Amino acid sequence: MTTMIHVENVAKTFTLHNQGGVRLPVFDNVNFSVEAGEALVLAGASGAGKSSLLRILYGNYRPSSGHIHITHAGRAIDIVAAVPRTVLDIRRRTLGFVSQFLRVIPRVSALDIVRDPLLARGVSPDEASERAKAILARLNLPERLWHLAPATFSGGEQQRVNIARSFVDPAPILLIDEPTASLDAANRDVVVDLIGEARANGSAIVGIFHDEAVRERVATRYLDITAFRKAA
Amino acid sequence: MTQHVSPQDLGIDPDPLLSVTGVGRFYGERIGCADVSFDLWPGEVLGIVGESGSGKSTLLRCLAGIDAPDAGEVLFRGSGQPLDIYSVAEQDRRRLMRTAWGIVHQNPRDGLRMDVSAGGNVGERLMDRGDRHYGKIRERALDWLTRVEIAENRIDDRPRQFSGGMQQRLQIARVLVSEPKLVFMDEPTGGLDVSVQARLLDLLRVLVRDLGLAAIIVTHDLAVARLLTDRLMVMKDGRVVEQGLTDQVLDDPHHAYTQLLTSAVLSV
Repeated sequence: MTTMIHVENVAKTFTLHNQGGVRLPVFDNVNFSVEAGEALVLAGASGAGKSSLLRILYGNYRPSSGHIHITHAGRAIDIVAAVPRTVLDIRRRTLGFVSQFLRVIPRVSALDIVRDPLLARGVSPDEASERAKAILARLNLPERLWHLAPATFSGGEQQRVNIARSFVDPAPILLIDEPTASLDAANRDVVVDLIGEARANGSAIVGIFHDEAVRERVATRYLDITAFRKAA
Repeated sequence: MTQHVSPQDLGIDPDPLLSVTGVGRFYGERIGCADVSFDLWPGEVLGIVGESGSGKSTLLRCLAGIDAPDAGEVLFRGSGQPLDIYSVAEQDRRRLMRTAWGIVHQNPRDGLRMDVSAGGNVGERLMDRGDRHYGKIRERALDWLTRVEIAENRIDDRPRQFSGGMQQRLQIARVLVSEPKLVFMDEPTGGLDVSVQARLLDLLRVLVRDLGLAAIIVTHDLAVARLLTDRLMVMKDGRVVEQGLTDQVLDDPHHAYTQLLTSAVLSV
């Protein structure tokens, strides 16, 4: 087995300077690893810090201390200490973040949004288009929407564009935050299948799923982060 | 476990394009900007944010070769040896600014020749560079007008007959036609309607990505910074108070001033 993520002594405390310098401790001494082909589901009550931990793994939030070793291009790199362009290279090639919200860019069509990660990885435009269309169809996004910018799409449609973008060429590590939140049962099933296929192809997955049925179908292992709760 | 891997080990670019060390500019006792140091690599887009008077435009002018700083140095590595842009002769610096650099001003009037046709504005930069074949210059000018979405039949019109958004797009064509390695932009969407801004932003985003440009963008608009930049520097009272990956700085700001800035906007 290949270890894709190794979390070492990670702690996070938010300090709100403009609200009297209040310190909000989130967690302390977080240690775990994720192997290729595993799906680790984060558990814990709302507010326990599941999303914060996921964002720390992505290099988006900065931990107060500790290290996150990400296996990238055959090496373990501490994403906490890495310079910005190394973090960007890790995200481009190794680390994907799937959120429930699509960041809409003015005038860019749904198809182009989905094609984009393939082009960034050097896939030819024709092949990228074919693969993008295939996954949009699989997620039941009506073909008449493919060439439109998603600004006017419904929440569920935007979410499916976002999922299509993340799974058109699944990264070796996928961080997933509530991907099925506003989807109907049929599309939820497609997402569960996509996650399963990515895992079968060797992706390491860390996710947050509120829906218990989805959680049970996806997880190979659970991590209850309440155990890392920092004593306030 | 390996912990320290440099970008070079991953095969990402060897040397920074621009190295800035200890740059400062002072107006008597008052600080314009002070102690600014950073490196910029090819293809990177750096945003400088902060409110009015934070020193971001002063800094940009020092970096872009317009105003000499009172302290520090700016090294540019275009091809071959790094060049200290303020120790070389004035004419060498001007040549560099015309060929390897581009500056997009907030007010298009500062970057355009208002009494010269749109095609002439774009073509002039090619002639500066040494191009002489009229047919080819016109062809390239036309190509760039199309890329910035200005209709072909406007090529002989003067910029004063254009709307503000078109003038700004024309200025961008004039800057990018000579294929600069590094572009400086001062509030490129300032003073434009929101709908015009969106179009310009998307255009800039695509051009920067397709051309692999390095760019330094000054803006007070955090949404613009989020869309266009890889890295962010936050300035207050002439000093850099926080810097890092754009999404880190905006989503998990550590400095009190950055927290104030990000909490003051509705949603970015």
